[in-house]
Amino acid sequence: MSEATKQAVRPLVDTAESRRPIGLLFVAIPVFLVIWLVIWPAINAISRTVWRKDKSGEMGFDLSSYAFFFSDSYSLDNLSITLWTTLVCAILLLMICLPIALYLRFSRGRLAAYVQALAIFPMFVPSIILAFAFIRVLGPNGMVDILFNAVDLPKIRTPYLTPWGPVIGLVWDNIPLTVLILLAGLGSVANQSIEAARDVGANAVQVFWHIILPRISNSILVALSFSVLGIFSSFTLPYLLGPASPEMLGPFMQRTLREVQDPVGAMTQAVIAFGFCIVFGLFYVRSVARSREK
Amino acid sequence: MSVLHIAEVTKTFSAGAKAVDSFSLDVADGELVCLLGPSGSGKSTLLRMVGGFEQPTSGSITIDGEDVTHLPPERRPTGMVFQSHALWTHMNVFKNLAFGLKLRRMPAAEIRDKVEAVLDLVGLAGYGDRMTTQLSGGQQQRVALARSLVLEPKILLLDEPFASLDQHLRERLREEVRDIQQRLGITTLFVTHGQDEALSMADRIVVMANGKTEQIDRPDVVYRDPKTPFVAGFIGSMNLIDGEVRNGYFMRSDLTVQLQVPDGPATLAIRPESLDVTASDTPKASVHRVTDYGSHGLVDLDLADGTRLKSMVAHPDLFRAGQGVDVFPRAIAAYRDNQQIYRS
Ligand SMILES: Nc1ncnc2c1ncn2[C@@H]1O[C@H](COP(=O)(O)OP(=O)(O)OP(=O)(O)O)[C@@H](O)[C@H]1O
Ligand SMILES: [Mg+2]
Repeated sequence: MSEATKQAVRPLVDTAESRRPIGLLFVAIPVFLVIWLVIWPAINAISRTVWRKDKSGEMGFDLSSYAFFFSDSYSLDNLSITLWTTLVCAILLLMICLPIALYLRFSRGRLAAYVQALAIFPMFVPSIILAFAFIRVLGPNGMVDILFNAVDLPKIRTPYLTPWGPVIGLVWDNIPLTVLILLAGLGSVANQSIEAARDVGANAVQVFWHIILPRISNSILVALSFSVLGIFSSFTLPYLLGPASPEMLGPFMQRTLREVQDPVGAMTQAVIAFGFCIVFGLFYVRSVARSREK
Repeated sequence: MSVLHIAEVTKTFSAGAKAVDSFSLDVADGELVCLLGPSGSGKSTLLRMVGGFEQPTSGSITIDGEDVTHLPPERRPTGMVFQSHALWTHMNVFKNLAFGLKLRRMPAAEIRDKVEAVLDLVGLAGYGDRMTTQLSGGQQQRVALARSLVLEPKILLLDEPFASLDQHLRERLREEVRDIQQRLGITTLFVTHGQDEALSMADRIVVMANGKTEQIDRPDVVYRDPKTPFVAGFIGSMNLIDGEVRNGYFMRSDLTVQLQVPDGPATLAIRPESLDVTASDTPKASVHRVTDYGSHGLVDLDLADGTRLKSMVAHPDLFRAGQGVDVFPRAIAAYRDNQQIYRS
């Protein structure tokens, strides 16, 4: 082969070989970021809570911080209030968002457009503003209180600083995303398949139960997983609206770190929260996989 | 014994235009009537009003003497087969068919018997366990048909059920549906915009345009004797020529045809198979193109003013492009003010 032909052939070979590293590079960037920003800190936190200096100053395997968390009644109360809040929020979200999404899917016209705008609106309101609006309206000497007072009704027992405070705030905060995901799911239910069900004799409730619900169960799962994960580790709203004790894991971690100055304790709480989220996540992945199989 | 009676039904959507305009029709027991018309002529809207999916703005719909105009779909004795996407994909074939029966609280054993019988009827015996997504398009439409039939509706409604299928399959299903319909003697309203479908299946055809009836007749009559120029142009191939009648002759360009009607404008309708062409030294038209279909040929002609005519000929090899020809209409019809005024 002459020099000239070699030169002519080379670019072909070059591009084929040089393309592969570039492709790998594109994949490598997100992978690297995930490892650096998510997996490494997670492993780091876990290892630092189980591999610690003991009293004599020697490094060793040590589960005492976990043992403390699961024997300390205050920590357990915080965990259970977090789980309770998450569960109640999930139920309320479903009860509120499903009718809204159904309404938006099956009605046309201006009113539906307004309802949609209203349902999406909370997405643009920062949690802090939401929390202060909540206090102004429902808090002690808030708008509702003043109105009740003006017409000689008894003072309300404000949900502010009770476990219901964060519940109301978190539900409001999560309505847009939940509605949007459910709406996307409902979009995949063809009008004709609903009409066919009515044609064979199904009334509105039966259509919902037998035709719509099975089709959107996946979207419900996705919507609930998203909001559950967010609510479980939420901070701002429980911090501003919730009771001082017991408190949700978010504020609890923050206080353990800043005020109690117990980084290992805070990290232990974080790892436990992380564990719960992984369980939710696995549950979601499994259900999605199972519905794919069908 | 099920008869459908549609009286003066009008549907106006909020947009304003009338989708269906004072439409009346009687369908006899066991009859298959095709609604045929171009896109947007209101066929689906009419069918959906019979099925209960749209409320008529005015008029009434009666089935076996019972006024169903204001009943919701779930309480009407009608069964509808939709164009597509109407099977419930989260259920298998058996459950799709059994759903309506379960809602009627029929015992499980009876449901199984009925479903198996109707699956057999549509040629899908043994397919009960399949998911609907594992079926071909034709099979899916058969399941949709079976799902309606299993409930033994008084009136069967089909809205372009074969529109998403290929030509070959469409022809086969057309025959199957017609067979089943005749065997069960079920009163049927069938929407299509394919004239082949209408001509080959229907006992009677309703030709619709702009929400109105143009003609209701047997298929052969609709073809041979279209009552309006719209029907003439819509069904089959037709030469429609606008011109003037003077002193008993229709005139357009060099074409003159004897036509015993009062003077005035008229539209002449001639089927290609009724238009003879011969080579001529004093030509009235010139050949534009000759197409040989083997069994017959089609000659496209231009009159001197450019009006294009089609003629069906037995021996296309006798003609070539550019040739001057004379034309002789054998059977004609003439229309004025949207009405037939002459027919030979
Ligand atoms: N839900 C609706 N809202 C407003 N207008 C409608 C609605 N449904 C149908 N129309 C209008 O009514 C007219 C008739 O529509 P229809 O669907 O009955 O026509 P079609 O004959 O079935 O046509 P195609 O052959 O394309 O299915 C059309 O002009 C259509 O735009
Ligand atoms: Mg239609």
